[in-house]
Amino acid sequence: MTTESPHQHLANLLARSALGDRRAFEEVYRATHSKLFAVSLRIVRERQLAEEVLQDSFVSIWNHASDYAQAKSAPTTWMTAIVRNRSLDVLRRGAHEAEDVDEVMALNLVDESASPSRDHEMGQDQHSIRECLEELEADQRQSIALAFFHGLSHSELASHMRKPLGTVKTHIRRGLMRLKDCLGRHGTVASDRG
Amino acid sequence: MRKFSAFAQHALAAEYVLGTLRGRARQRFESLMLEDPALGAIVRGWEDWLTPLADRITPVQPPERVWRAIEARIGTRRAAQEPSGVWSSLAFWRGLGTAFAAILVALVVFFPRATQGPTAPSMVAVLATPEADPRMIVERRADTLVVSIVKPWADMPGQDLELWAIPKDGKPRSLGLVRYNANTEVRLANLDQKLTGTVAFAVSREPKGGSPSADGPTGPVLCSGAIVRPVQV
Repeated sequence: MTTESPHQHLANLLARSALGDRRAFEEVYRATHSKLFAVSLRIVRERQLAEEVLQDSFVSIWNHASDYAQAKSAPTTWMTAIVRNRSLDVLRRGAHEAEDVDEVMALNLVDESASPSRDHEMGQDQHSIRECLEELEADQRQSIALAFFHGLSHSELASHMRKPLGTVKTHIRRGLMRLKDCLGRHGTVASDRG
Repeated sequence: MRKFSAFAQHALAAEYVLGTLRGRARQRFESLMLEDPALGAIVRGWEDWLTPLADRITPVQPPERVWRAIEARIGTRRAAQEPSGVWSSLAFWRGLGTAFAAILVALVVFFPRATQGPTAPSMVAVLATPEADPRMIVERRADTLVVSIVKPWADMPGQDLELWAIPKDGKPRSLGLVRYNANTEVRLANLDQKLTGTVAFAVSREPKGGSPSADGPTGPVLCSGAIVRPVQV
């Protein structure tokens, strides 16, 4: 097969965007917008805000497309990180309190850390991170998934999981360090704990 | 100053990427990341490991108005309004290039006031956004730096603009705060010292009172430009 991978294709489009090619940039947008919109929507929980986040993020992606060459990440990883950071910025600004969390949870809280059914479609990193999540204790896995997918803060997690704040912080911290050790075993990350 | 163990660096980077590092702690961490490329690399590592989790999220189609708004914004060069984190600013430092010479020529033609006056400027820099939109001019006249506005910035409540001297080697040096909507005269006792080896100026958007870091800007760099010795006409 001589066709470029989706990853390579997107990287090329970003490189062309960095040179001011708007058509290439629109292609980047069309290829990623619905995924990135969903990422933001889960965190900011309001369509209007998520639309603003998506807009701001893509303006930023356009302005900094030349940085991508240095990023050495998958294009989707780089772009998703921009959208997640922007979404968290918006949360930081806004007054999202714990009370509306339970409501949102009831609507939409599938346990996204479970069911490895589609792993074969995913890249190597995806496979490893999912396997490693599986190895965590249930509370650790749940708090990490809620924080990652829904942007919950420590105190929101505590209120949602009905656990003391300190306990939740420990779940997160231990869970992340176990993830790191596990990813290290998979060769995804060099273990360099000091 | 604040030196974290490798373990603590990973713990903070992980919570930063996960999103549980919030508020001031998040902002402080972003400043540290700017100062310490090694910390930035650890963050990048955690992004690479955690972000693929998002691949599984069911896509949601955003309305078409989002793209129209993006298109309008990237067409009208609104860099001042662009929200960006610390990641964004590095590109600016690299981008101090030859394009600015051409802009300077254009400005000398269209804004002759900028290069005239009782004292001829000994150095001039046109500060432009990454989209090459000239926004500010910095001139040195004797012991004063005159910072003039080509196009005023939008009001930025709770934030200040800070002027930086960018030396050929080493960290940016703060030259103090400048106004976003009017010209500013910067007078510093040790101006010569501050400008030693300076090849360019830049303006960043900072928290009220200026960058909390001793090592340079923490906010996005809005415009920058290389120093040019004005041609005597």
